[in-house]
Amino acid sequence: MAGYKAPLRDMRFVLYELMSGDELARLPGYEEFTRELIDPVLEEAARLCEEVLHPLNRSGDEEGCTLENGVVRTPKGFPEAYRQFREGGWTSIACDPAYGGQGLPAMVNVLVEEMICSANLSFGMYPGLSHGAYVALHDHGTEALKAAYLPKLVDGTWAGTMCLTEPHCGTDLGLLRTKAVPQGDGSYKLTGTKIFISAGDHDLTENIVHLVLARLPDAPKGVKGISLFLVPKYLPHADGTPGPSNGVSTGAIEHKMGIKASATCVLNFDDATGWLVGEPHKGMRAMFSMMNTERVAVGVQGLGLAEASYQGAVAYARERLQGRALTGPKYPDRPADPIIVHPDVRRMLMVQRSTVESCRALAMWTARHLDLQNRHPDPEVRRESEDFVALMTPIVKALLTDLGYEATNHGMQVLGGHGYIREHGMEQYVRDCRIAQIYEGTNGIQALDLVGRKLGLAGGRPLRRFFHPVAAYIDEKMEDEALAEFVQPLAKAFVRLQQATAEVARAGLSNPEEAGAAASDYLRLFGLTALSYLWARMAEIALAKQDDDPDGFYAAKVATARFHAERVLPQTGALFSAVMAGGKSIMALDEAAF
Amino acid sequence: MAEIRKVVVVGAGVMGAGIAAHVANAGVPVTLLDIVPAGAPNRNALAEGAVERMLKADPAPLMTKAAAKLITPGNTEDHFDAAVGDADWIVEVVTERLDVKQALYRRIEAARKAGSVVSSNTSTLPLASLVDGLPESFARDFLITHFFNPPRYMRLLEIVVGPLTRPEAVDTVSRFADMSLGKSLVRCKDRPGFIANRLGVFWLQAAVVEAFARGLAIEDVDAVIGKPMGIPKTGVFGLLDLVGLDLMPHVNASLAAALPKDDPFHAFDRPLPVVQKLIADGYTGRKGKGGFYRLNREAGKRKEALDLATGEFRPARKAEVAAVAESGRSLGKLLDHDSPLGAYAWRVMGATLAYAAALVGDAADDIEAIDEAMRLGYNWRWGPFELIDRLGADWLIARLERDGQAVPEMLRLAAGRSFYRVENGRRQALGRDGQYHDIVRPDGVLLLEDIKRAGTPVIKNGSAALWDLGDGVACFEFTGKMNTIDQQVLDLLVKTVRRVKKDFKALVIYNEGHNFSVGANLGLALFACNIAAWTEVEASVTQGQEAYRALKYAPFPVVGAPSGLALGGGCEILLHCDAIQAHAETYMGLVEVGVGLIPAWGGCKEMLHRWSTLGRLPKGPMPAVAKVFETVSTATVAKSAAEAKELLYLRPTDGITMNRNRLLADAKARALAMAESYVPPEPPIYVLPGPSAETAMAMAVAGFRRLGKATPYDEVVSGALARILSGGDTDVTETLDEEAVLALEREQLVRLVRQPGTLARLESMLMTGKPLRN
Repeated sequence: MAGYKAPLRDMRFVLYELMSGDELARLPGYEEFTRELIDPVLEEAARLCEEVLHPLNRSGDEEGCTLENGVVRTPKGFPEAYRQFREGGWTSIACDPAYGGQGLPAMVNVLVEEMICSANLSFGMYPGLSHGAYVALHDHGTEALKAAYLPKLVDGTWAGTMCLTEPHCGTDLGLLRTKAVPQGDGSYKLTGTKIFISAGDHDLTENIVHLVLARLPDAPKGVKGISLFLVPKYLPHADGTPGPSNGVSTGAIEHKMGIKASATCVLNFDDATGWLVGEPHKGMRAMFSMMNTERVAVGVQGLGLAEASYQGAVAYARERLQGRALTGPKYPDRPADPIIVHPDVRRMLMVQRSTVESCRALAMWTARHLDLQNRHPDPEVRRESEDFVALMTPIVKALLTDLGYEATNHGMQVLGGHGYIREHGMEQYVRDCRIAQIYEGTNGIQALDLVGRKLGLAGGRPLRRFFHPVAAYIDEKMEDEALAEFVQPLAKAFVRLQQATAEVARAGLSNPEEAGAAASDYLRLFGLTALSYLWARMAEIALAKQDDDPDGFYAAKVATARFHAERVLPQTGALFSAVMAGGKSIMALDEAAF
Repeated sequence: MAEIRKVVVVGAGVMGAGIAAHVANAGVPVTLLDIVPAGAPNRNALAEGAVERMLKADPAPLMTKAAAKLITPGNTEDHFDAAVGDADWIVEVVTERLDVKQALYRRIEAARKAGSVVSSNTSTLPLASLVDGLPESFARDFLITHFFNPPRYMRLLEIVVGPLTRPEAVDTVSRFADMSLGKSLVRCKDRPGFIANRLGVFWLQAAVVEAFARGLAIEDVDAVIGKPMGIPKTGVFGLLDLVGLDLMPHVNASLAAALPKDDPFHAFDRPLPVVQKLIADGYTGRKGKGGFYRLNREAGKRKEALDLATGEFRPARKAEVAAVAESGRSLGKLLDHDSPLGAYAWRVMGATLAYAAALVGDAADDIEAIDEAMRLGYNWRWGPFELIDRLGADWLIARLERDGQAVPEMLRLAAGRSFYRVENGRRQALGRDGQYHDIVRPDGVLLLEDIKRAGTPVIKNGSAALWDLGDGVACFEFTGKMNTIDQQVLDLLVKTVRRVKKDFKALVIYNEGHNFSVGANLGLALFACNIAAWTEVEASVTQGQEAYRALKYAPFPVVGAPSGLALGGGCEILLHCDAIQAHAETYMGLVEVGVGLIPAWGGCKEMLHRWSTLGRLPKGPMPAVAKVFETVSTATVAKSAAEAKELLYLRPTDGITMNRNRLLADAKARALAMAESYVPPEPPIYVLPGPSAETAMAMAVAGFRRLGKATPYDEVVSGALARILSGGDTDVTETLDEEAVLALEREQLVRLVRQPGTLARLESMLMTGKPLRN
């Protein structure tokens, strides 16, 4: 099976050349994050992912997690890998320096996350969930709770989880039943069952901090009656070491299609002691601050797996000798040509490649605004970036996992029967990627978030942060002949997106089902248009550097941009037609007719 | 029939002064008299003071400052005999004491001329006792005209006529009240509280007493007994703060004294010590230190609400009422909701609706009078019988029976059917005889509501419709939210011009919304700007300009008939009409600068033309430009149709109708009269001053900015306006046509919509309803 090599060259291109990464150091608090610091971080992350995490990817999948006597064991090698991961400081890179974190910019963190996901998504789930718990606690916890728990989450000696789902409620959290009873001393006793809890139990850390949604006795019905609680697996002693067990037990672990080395647990809370995080009944708000970070991170999972699959497919396509090129033998000295000579294999590889490179750019565009939102001195800029992130979050999550899944499927297809068997690890990427389209809000929910919430927000103000720069770019470059092959198709896609946006907003006002019926196609149209814009900009940069291109990187970039403009972007036309056709045919059948 | 040419109002309190002001609004001279205050150097101090206060009051009792000149203040010693002797109508608005009123009536009877009419604005005293012991000649000319506060704005006038009152006297006053004062008249029987207050006070008292008994939060009460019932959002406690808490005990006492022992009112008439203490402490409502709600200035203008249980103020909170949230739009579900507020809502509204039914035959002859009184006197969206129809008469009967409450006879009559129905396109009401009777509109009242019920539109789409008013006149109606103007309205307008040309003689633009139109649909405009749809934005500007121009030059007369707000694009469409017949309560204005825009559907072009032709200004192009700049750059809104004439939003020749219900008939008549020999207007030619004037206006705004009267972005928007009004790069030796001015409007609008400052203003207006001063 092929190894994994972190795509550092392309990452640096996106970071420094496309997204002006050198400007990061001008933001207050980011002064030290120059290339001199960032490049070694990326290289070190690449080494860890290539040498420590990736070799455990297939074995972890084969072995899976086990539950014995109520204790979850991770696959062989995971505890040791986690020790190295933790000691290397990787649990703390995106955390607040006030609690021992390294405070790295989001743009750097996204690249590191991508590498981890490429190398071993199951492994990445454990620190990933801890980070979600960290964010919720950091943004909403009391000072006392933060002082007690954040340093441990940051240095990775303790892990975290997010406990939302219950057997009867997933998307509709308003139905949840877990109850929290105040004890009069500031603590609460929690009772209830949570399912699908990623990293719910494991043997990587000495303690696990669960962030649990539950209802107070006087809570109003529905989502307005949900509060967030912190419930440790072991109650800490005064000195901070883990103490007695706290009424949290693992009832079962799920048997899943993919990410088998990530323990997905049923957790039972039985009078477990917990503390309120944020205000009573305002748990959803605390949840969402975590969820927004996590949704971008899940998008990056799709990207990471697509990259890994691409690498595997390319390696195989170069080596596998079968038949001859359609125009006659390309390698007459060999018994057969490598399959990379075939247009249809090329098609699949180009789809993967263009997907990976542009999705990386989209994730980084969003990360750039996360950094501006967090660090820019001008409140107006911060608010604008917040708008951008709010708008793009559902798109990044759904588009990158949908396209990522399609890309892993292409990767498997390139290998034919050898992709379908386990040996090359290609089918694992497909299986691992599939969950990313489902959890943290299914991609259908992301599409509803986009059309139902983000489109109508403040008269469409968040839209401005995307549409205005793209419109200005098109206006500016429309007459540029060198760019015409990229900008003119982009302009077409953009007009389609404008019209579809107006139509979805209009139709949604009079009939929400129209917006619901358009949502997924609209999100894809939006996403592809965003990628088309990024391709045009990437092509523009690459074209300017054709003369100094010893390794052919920029030439390949232009060629891939061209592939996108000619072979992918036209999908916007079909999506546009589907959106504009309206939702009648979707809703036409009687329920009984299904 | 006698006409009312001169009026005397005796009593210059809030109501008396307000009635006098409204008579002046109608253009009729009025003398306002009050007593000579003891030891006052100015013997007219009371009446003069009242007029002065009214000139400053908001909402303004007077439609223009000039109307105040029609009011002659005086006193009841020096001016009484002369004024009363000269008056056609004498309105008594003095304190609610029988002896005081009767003594005054004797003086009036001695001084007034033959054929004059006397009326009282009493709200509590029966007509029978008012005329008791007075000469028959007085009783023959006497009636009760009960106005509601404030008299200019409240459309209800309750009329009580005695057995001796001359029909001609009633007709004279009724005609004047209807045509000149614009009131809707409701005939009441001579019973305590007449109709509106009899039922309204019962409702309020029941709501207050039950809220105290159940210890409810007043915010929750106002949220339940308010919007869900079509009752103004002030609800119960907010309304009491508005009318004054100190009024309650008086009104209750007089009703309690006058009503028979078995009247259901007595069940709710209990003393409320907490309210008595509030009044004693000066918490008489908004006119005092606050009432049930107050602003705590010590706590940083915090809004506070009275805790009914403790009598103490606490921070106000947002109402959270499950009964409302979980009932959707179903009133029945709300009244059946299993919660303290659901039970409360039923207790109050069940009793009120049953009481309303019991008043038929007692306070009123028919259900329409009661519904009309509550709609116009208390601003209920639906009268009590309309509410019962929404609930279902059978539902109400069953619920009353289940609770062991009496079911009034009138309600029984409606069992198995409804109080109102539509039969052959006509609305009918259930009478006491158990039969349905057509609701007949008076002569000169034409309602689009009736036309719509009886037929289908000539053409329509999602935002507008065209109706046939008969006699060859068509009526264009906006139907979108807040009657905003969007692409569909403009589409239909263009189709309308074609259709009217073919099938009709004239067109009226009219609707029966609260507001004629608040202008272009800003939500769509902002959305289009946010998605950078600049081509569409420009196209919509062009489309509006072309549609309005098509209207102006159509080969048939177009009469605009606005009422309420006519802002922005809603004002501009009126500027393109051949004539306007405006309801007196029309509020026109080109307010675009408030949202960072400029009038671009021909508003600048029309206003320039008006001020240069009708403005009676000094010679040269600059005075008209300056006048329009002043009006538009400050987003001036006329506070009445009369004021709109001063601002030339209306022409001197445009008509004003006082009675809302007569507006459409007046507009139609005007359109027909014009159709006889109609010739479309000649396109105007403009001579505009050019860049030097633009600079001068920009400098003026810069000056305001230095004084802190204009914001940085005001300068940008005013600059765009100055560019248009000065004519761009023209100079006084050149002439411009309409297209040239329209092109300037387009150019500046398209420039402004790309500015973040404009987008921020649009967003603020849409999200908060408040202009952003950036």
